[in-house]
Amino acid sequence: MASKLARAGVRQVKPILSVDHGEARQRVLNLYKAWYRQLPYIVMDYDLPKSKEECRAKLREEFMKHHHVQDIRVIDMLVIKGQMELKETVEIWKQKHGLMAYWKDTVEPKPQGFLNKFLDGHE
Amino acid sequence: MATLSRFAPVLRTTLNRGISSIMVKRDSSNKVYGPLADEDRIFTNLYGRHDWRLSGAMGRGDWYKTKEILNKGHEWILGEIKTSGLRGRGGAGFPTGMKWSFMNKPSDGRPKYLVVNADEGEPGTCKDREIMRHDPHKLVEGCLVAGRAMGARAAYIYIRGEFYNEASNMQVAINEAYKAGFLGKNACGSGYDFDVFMHRGAGAYICGEETALIESLEGKQGKPRLKPPFPADIGVFGCPTTVANVETVAVAPTICRRGGSWFASLGRTRNSGTKLFNISGHVNNPCTVEEEMSVPLKELIERHAGGVTGGWDNLLGVIPGGSSTPVIPKQVCEEAIMDFDGLVACQTSLGTAAVIVMNKQTDIVKAIARLIEFYKHESCGQCTPCREGVNWMYKIMTRFVKGDAQPEEIDALWEVSKQIEGHTICALGDGAAWPVQGLIRHFRPVLEERMANYAAANAVAN
Amino acid sequence: MGHPGEGLLLGMGATRAQSSGPEKIEVFIDDQPVMVPPGTTVLQAAAEAGVEIPRFCYHERLSVAGNCRMCLVEVEKSVKPVAACAMPVMKGWRIKTDSDMTRKAREGVMEFLLINHPLDCPICDQGGECDLQDQSMAFGSDRSRFLDNKRAVEDKNIGPLVKTIMTRCIHCTRCVRFASEVAGVEDLGTTGRGSDMQIGTYVEKMLMSELSGNVIDLCPVGALTSKPYAFTARPWEIRRTDSVDVMDAVGSNIVVNHRTGEVLRILPRTNEEINEEWLSDKSRFACDGLKRQRLVYPMVKDSSGELRPCQWEDALLVAGRALAAAQGSVAAVAGGLADAESLVALKDLVNKLGGEATCTEEIFPEDGSGTDLRSSYLLNTTIAGVEEADLVLLVGTNPRFEAPLFNARLRKAWVHNELDVAVLGPNVNLTYEAEHIGEDPAIIEKLLSGTHPFSQRLKAARRPMVVVGSALLSRPDGGLLYARLQQLAHQLRAGCEGGAEWRVLNVLHRVASQVAALDLGYTPGVSKVRNAPPQVLYLLGADEGAITREDLPADCLVIYQGHHGDRGAEMADVVLPGAAYTEKMATYVNTEGRAQQAQAALVPPGMAREDWKIIRALSEVVGAQLPYDNLAEVRDRLTEVSPNLTRYGDVEEANYFAQASALAQLVKGKQEAAPIDVPQKVLEDFYMTNSVSRASPTMAKCIAAIKKEAANRHRDK
Repeated sequence: MASKLARAGVRQVKPILSVDHGEARQRVLNLYKAWYRQLPYIVMDYDLPKSKEECRAKLREEFMKHHHVQDIRVIDMLVIKGQMELKETVEIWKQKHGLMAYWKDTVEPKPQGFLNKFLDGHE
Repeated sequence: MATLSRFAPVLRTTLNRGISSIMVKRDSSNKVYGPLADEDRIFTNLYGRHDWRLSGAMGRGDWYKTKEILNKGHEWILGEIKTSGLRGRGGAGFPTGMKWSFMNKPSDGRPKYLVVNADEGEPGTCKDREIMRHDPHKLVEGCLVAGRAMGARAAYIYIRGEFYNEASNMQVAINEAYKAGFLGKNACGSGYDFDVFMHRGAGAYICGEETALIESLEGKQGKPRLKPPFPADIGVFGCPTTVANVETVAVAPTICRRGGSWFASLGRTRNSGTKLFNISGHVNNPCTVEEEMSVPLKELIERHAGGVTGGWDNLLGVIPGGSSTPVIPKQVCEEAIMDFDGLVACQTSLGTAAVIVMNKQTDIVKAIARLIEFYKHESCGQCTPCREGVNWMYKIMTRFVKGDAQPEEIDALWEVSKQIEGHTICALGDGAAWPVQGLIRHFRPVLEERMANYAAANAVAN
Repeated sequence: MGHPGEGLLLGMGATRAQSSGPEKIEVFIDDQPVMVPPGTTVLQAAAEAGVEIPRFCYHERLSVAGNCRMCLVEVEKSVKPVAACAMPVMKGWRIKTDSDMTRKAREGVMEFLLINHPLDCPICDQGGECDLQDQSMAFGSDRSRFLDNKRAVEDKNIGPLVKTIMTRCIHCTRCVRFASEVAGVEDLGTTGRGSDMQIGTYVEKMLMSELSGNVIDLCPVGALTSKPYAFTARPWEIRRTDSVDVMDAVGSNIVVNHRTGEVLRILPRTNEEINEEWLSDKSRFACDGLKRQRLVYPMVKDSSGELRPCQWEDALLVAGRALAAAQGSVAAVAGGLADAESLVALKDLVNKLGGEATCTEEIFPEDGSGTDLRSSYLLNTTIAGVEEADLVLLVGTNPRFEAPLFNARLRKAWVHNELDVAVLGPNVNLTYEAEHIGEDPAIIEKLLSGTHPFSQRLKAARRPMVVVGSALLSRPDGGLLYARLQQLAHQLRAGCEGGAEWRVLNVLHRVASQVAALDLGYTPGVSKVRNAPPQVLYLLGADEGAITREDLPADCLVIYQGHHGDRGAEMADVVLPGAAYTEKMATYVNTEGRAQQAQAALVPPGMAREDWKIIRALSEVVGAQLPYDNLAEVRDRLTEVSPNLTRYGDVEEANYFAQASALAQLVKGKQEAAPIDVPQKVLEDFYMTNSVSRASPTMAKCIAAIKKEAANRHRDK
């Protein structure tokens, strides 16, 4: 009984891809570079109304969103998702608005209070 | 068409029960009926050879001791009528005594009325007009006697609009009767008040149906009413009413004078009395004749109408009771007995006893098609089966005349006629369906042959 | 054909027997025993047993014609099938509604009906809601053996509302019976015989009835369809919202049929207490007025005096600033289509701002008990109660056009219950015989003192009713006359057989908002506003011109809130677009005092909003915020003011006749000599009475058609 509990406490998790932080970091950097190199083509193919620099800034922003993640398994999963996203983008399986959604990170808050709702057409 | 009332859904159980108790039992197995002896004739001026006015009528025995008949009371009159076994002469053959006794319910304050159906419009039928133009006093007196029997306040004679001279004679007779004190307040000095009014129709066959007649009398469109309520409960102007045929009413005084048993002694059991027969069509001497009931059809034609044109063997078929009864072919005619039961046995009906004789020069299909056209024209259009069905039958029949149809359509026509029969408010639908059914029953080979000929002719043409 | 009296005998007999049925008899419907009162028809007995017998000509509210023969059923031991709609059951009858004979009879009738019925279902407006279609699916044969030509019938022009395609007619005569029995116009009938029979007006004339639209619902096939709705939609595409009508004060129950944000048609909804299953033509056909002349954005008058569209913010600010600046010199006038929610919100706002004058456009005398006692301004007997009355005195009203369905009840009682009707006022055609006792207002005094010949009749009546119209009440001496009528009614009530339960006094209102407004404490009539003109006048759908620009000082700011650009919006400085009755959840109280809910079938068009919300928003802008944010809270407030306003469907009894009569005795005044008059005398006056019907092209067509009909030499003058 006791041994069971102890085992649960120090449960070893099975790695997804990377076995240590170094390897995970390498995967992240590879993904970043792959994106970085593709960006000029993406801007051209999708005819995005954004410059390369803006896209690179956005790329960095997206990666930095997760810089606090420490769990190797989570990092691996994020990398896999990033690869899938890259694949879809490069193959032009996505549409333009799908990419532009990256820049729409602020949604207007719903109006509060009767008068605001009324003026906004919700009441 | 005093006639439509004939098909009233009547009879059945009540009839049988009523009749067996009333009727004098007689052996009717092999007795031969007719010819009618002169002394047994009721309508002695049928041919208008004598004076039809009051003096002439009184000379023939009308208005004789009418006061005494009236004073014997309604029970006695009804009793005599019941004893006589008189059945309605308008076609349905409902026992008159029973029908009149329906009116003898306790009064609820409403007046009662007798309505005489003189809207004789059935093709082939011409008996009532003979009574009205040559013996109008028989009918006037009949109204009084029948009215007394049912306690009616007045009688309305609804006469067919086309019968102008008949209506005129009737009015003269009524006026004479009033003048002589036979009608009006204290009729015949009996203390009984009774009025007779004439009402001329506007020429619609359907107004001979009793409820349509009532509607028409009330000034509405002549369209049959739903029954129940029956006219004996709610009739003309919402009052209890009995609608009776001219002939039925006109024989009542004579029955009362000579006794019901005399009348019952004529004709077969349940079919007693004398009857006016109208013989028309392919006969040497078309005529209206008063004859004993149950006279054989062949004798009727041979004796009174001078035989079929071209001899008996030239006979094709007979419509024995006015246009709405099914036709019977020659072999059936040989044996047919002219009374209610005798003709039912032949799958036809006595109707108004208007015998339409057709010899072999007749195009029977065309003849029936013409009858259907008549019914199509006269259907009031109120209820669906008759309005739509009769029109459809007419369309089919017009093609049958040429033969422009498939043999299967004969069965379809039969079914259509069955879909009409018994599904309508009044009996006009039945009356339109029966001639077609008679045609198909007896002359199917004629139809089929004609279709084959037409198909062959068309095949050659193409 | 079809005289009203005659056929009814049967139907009436059946219903009467039901009410007082002494002993029930047992019959068997498909071997299932049912106990029914004697006189019940086979069809009714079958309905009792849960078996519906198909029918075309039979209709519960019309006399029995028995001519379609679709309802034929077999009765054991009967040779022929019987017509279930007309045949009373006899004890022990075994009725077979699904036997071979029955099915054959139905199939035969169905075949006959279809042989001359055109195969134009794809272009027929009845398609999808057609009795003939449904029943031929259920009872008809699956193939045709009719090889000849079909009949064709010329269409008739019977006016701008009912479209006729007479080839489709199956001659059930429901329309004929409706016109002669319910509507009381003997225009429809049958001509011709047999297969040439036609339904029509004999010579071409218009069906001059305020209830003509009902024949469309009654027609079991597509022979009579709605002209304005022709080729518009199929029933399966339509969404239906149950609602309440506001074209008159009757409060008929309706079903709003709509699709893609548009009201397509309005149909009646059965409510035995109010409209049975009928609907007046205005209620039914004026709905196309909801699409025209609408106010779809807020507007503010600019410096040049033109109303300019603007945003809600701007309009509310302008209005709010003016209201705040008025310092309590604020008044409100409510029109005839206002709902109870907006009425209570507006009254609360005006009162909160320090204003006192909240008025209605309709006038009601304030003498005596005025509007303090609810029984003084209601139709106390209720609409259905008319059927118990035996004498009705109509004073200064023409119910035929002011409340067509109330009039239909009067006619129904006149036909079936031998109700007598007398009219004090102009001698108008009410579709039934009414005794005209004069137009002189002095007659009222004579009736009260018992010196008029008619007084005897009133005294002798077992259950009399006095119905007072708003035309009488709006006379200058309306207060005096009404007080006398109150006394008269109280007098009659004491003597009549109905006793305390029977209410004699009735007020028949013309507009849908009036009772709710009076319940909420509005002042009837605009004299208050006229006498003390405010700085800001708030018009809530007030379009009848009770108050005009001339009555107001030049610097008075007029705010108009409503849904149609009519007289009210014309004189306004600020226009706030509101919702029509089909676009809001709202409470209306009918002339009986029965609160009913209208449901929102659509959203208000453009920038228009629900009315109470506009007032609520404005209150916040002014800084006098009303304490409710949603409908439930508004209704709580309604309940607080007058609990009956939220008891939907019920009539709250009101019973202070004695007190009202006592107060009425104190009323003194000068009686005018002018005869009693009503504004709506002929059918032409009926169609346009409010902002919706004035905007309706169909109503305009009706008036044009009637004007044209005046030249028809076939019409009885």
